[in-house]
Amino acid sequence: MLRYKTKNDEVITPKTFLKPTLYLLPFMIGVLIFTVYPFFNAILISFKEDFRVMTDEFSGYGLGNYAHILSDSTFISSIYNTIIYVVVVVSISLIISLFIAVMLNNIKRLQGLYQTAYFMPIVTSSAAIGLVWRWIFNYDYGILNYILSIFGQDAINWLNNPKYSLVCLCIYGIWSMLPMTIILLLSGLQNIDPQYYTAAKVDGAKSKDIFTNITVPLLAPTIGLVAIINMISAFKVFEGLYVLFGGKPGPAYNLYTVIFYLYDQFYTKFKVGYAAASAIILFLIILVFTVLQNKIQKKYDYY
Amino acid sequence: MKVRVEKLTKRFNDVTAVNELTAEFESGKLIALLGPSGCGKTTMLNMLSGILPVTDGKIFFDEEDVTDLPPDKREVGLVFQNYALYPHMSVLENICFPLKIKKVPKAERIKIAKEYAKMVHIDEYLDRKPKELSGGQQQRVAIARALVKKPRLLLLDEPLSNLDAKLRVEMREEIRRIQRESGVTTFFVTHDQEEASAISDYIMLMKKGVMQQFDHSRQLYNEPSNLFVADFIGAPTINQLHGEWTKEGIKLDTYDTVIPFAKGNNIPINQRIVFACRAEAIIVSNRGTVKATVVDTYLSGKDVLANLQLGEQMLRTYIADDMNPEDGMEVYLAFKEAGVFVFDEETGERYA
Repeated sequence: MLRYKTKNDEVITPKTFLKPTLYLLPFMIGVLIFTVYPFFNAILISFKEDFRVMTDEFSGYGLGNYAHILSDSTFISSIYNTIIYVVVVVSISLIISLFIAVMLNNIKRLQGLYQTAYFMPIVTSSAAIGLVWRWIFNYDYGILNYILSIFGQDAINWLNNPKYSLVCLCIYGIWSMLPMTIILLLSGLQNIDPQYYTAAKVDGAKSKDIFTNITVPLLAPTIGLVAIINMISAFKVFEGLYVLFGGKPGPAYNLYTVIFYLYDQFYTKFKVGYAAASAIILFLIILVFTVLQNKIQKKYDYY
Repeated sequence: MKVRVEKLTKRFNDVTAVNELTAEFESGKLIALLGPSGCGKTTMLNMLSGILPVTDGKIFFDEEDVTDLPPDKREVGLVFQNYALYPHMSVLENICFPLKIKKVPKAERIKIAKEYAKMVHIDEYLDRKPKELSGGQQQRVAIARALVKKPRLLLLDEPLSNLDAKLRVEMREEIRRIQRESGVTTFFVTHDQEEASAISDYIMLMKKGVMQQFDHSRQLYNEPSNLFVADFIGAPTINQLHGEWTKEGIKLDTYDTVIPFAKGNNIPINQRIVFACRAEAIIVSNRGTVKATVVDTYLSGKDVLANLQLGEQMLRTYIADDMNPEDGMEVYLAFKEAGVFVFDEETGERYA
């Protein structure tokens, strides 16, 4: 009989294995069909030369797809754009969220109401949000240009001037990242024992001292976790680009991101091989960053 | 530094946690704030530290009115019940923290911190993180961190409640030693009367926000001002026999023999009373007039602790082993002068 001992000295037999497996099965089937299989299939496709998705024909395995996209200047610029977007959006949204979360955490009254307000964007449809942002960035009527005019600045043609498209995308990206980041940081803040603050106050620490010496270091594990989550989602930037520029990667096709490139190759040009190869490259980039981030994270494990 | 509180009051909505408390605390002493949970002792401590604003009344450090000063201006060191050591800082960084806030140069603050680490015997573990220390060691770090800024007042909030029994006895002696060495006026909150009696110079016993007695630790045991104090201080708990005061002495309920009592001149005749006597104030012998029956016995260290019955009331005392006490045996009681009190049954006020 097949027997296997777990760490807790529980004996696993085919019988004790079967029941939990049955419970897990519906979920596992979903994961296998929609995550595991496509992942490995994408790796496979990325190596298929001259792959035609309709007829499933290909001329052999090789690195042709990779060679092609790595010499495609659009793809190289898409990596470049994506990395700038990730660095800017993740860091700035994290800093803004940190301040908002700390302030929200200090609100005594109506805290729930404020927290709900900050959570609203998550439950709003992205098409509607896109419309609102198109209005905000609007050259003639947009609120952003109105604010600039208050300070005596000339109006900027945000959405139609290629020079500003990355700025627009980043502003939108930062904004859309705030709610989830704030909520996660807030839950981290609420896990900090308020006695540390009292102790520091008795020792004469001012709000600024408490923030830098107590709050931020104690929140570091949460900050690290949020940074990874946000980074992964920022690398996959697509939706914002799509809604802001009406389905184009920037007003002059100047702002490809890796996922937009992938989408373009797949749905517009039917070059499934190139799309798959670009997905694998993006996967490798995210993998490297995540591993790095995890290494740094280990240093901040106090508890 | 001397501490004085005048009509100190703290109300939380409609609950009065501390009620018009007036007292003066001598400089350089170890004072225990003692009482059952919810008696207001921690509230009292937090008002002294400045963490809690007072509702009414005044607090003086020496002659300075500190009632409205924030915690950092009062120069107090506070040790929390769960120590509240910063988990991301090493032992040395934790002890240095108050000095860092005071902008003491780095080299100097490390030097000072090391002195205090030595004083509390934690200097071997300077580089460790709090989670790598035992409870007793964390306690020492917390005390060093509180002392390092040379506070005028050291406040300890139930400092021993998170330690196991043996370490508790060791640490309370350590706290005593450290307090003596530093000479700082120290307040120490506890609900354990034994702990309070063992190390403090003075005990303030509180009940429902009202001070019951504030005196030398020994005095609370020897001269309790009311039944609550007598009941709270001392182990085993003081015996309480209900009865009535008569011309001949104490007439206990359900018991025929009247117990003569010399000091009862001020008690009104027929007054309902509680006759309270400490276990060690009762002499058990084979002859006498106050008869009792042994119900059961326990071995407690070198002594035999016995439950005796007088009428339908129970009493607990020590019996000499050579009397060979056994269940159902009849013995006679006599009472010493010290450790025997008479209280008003209703109000708990002491008559004698």
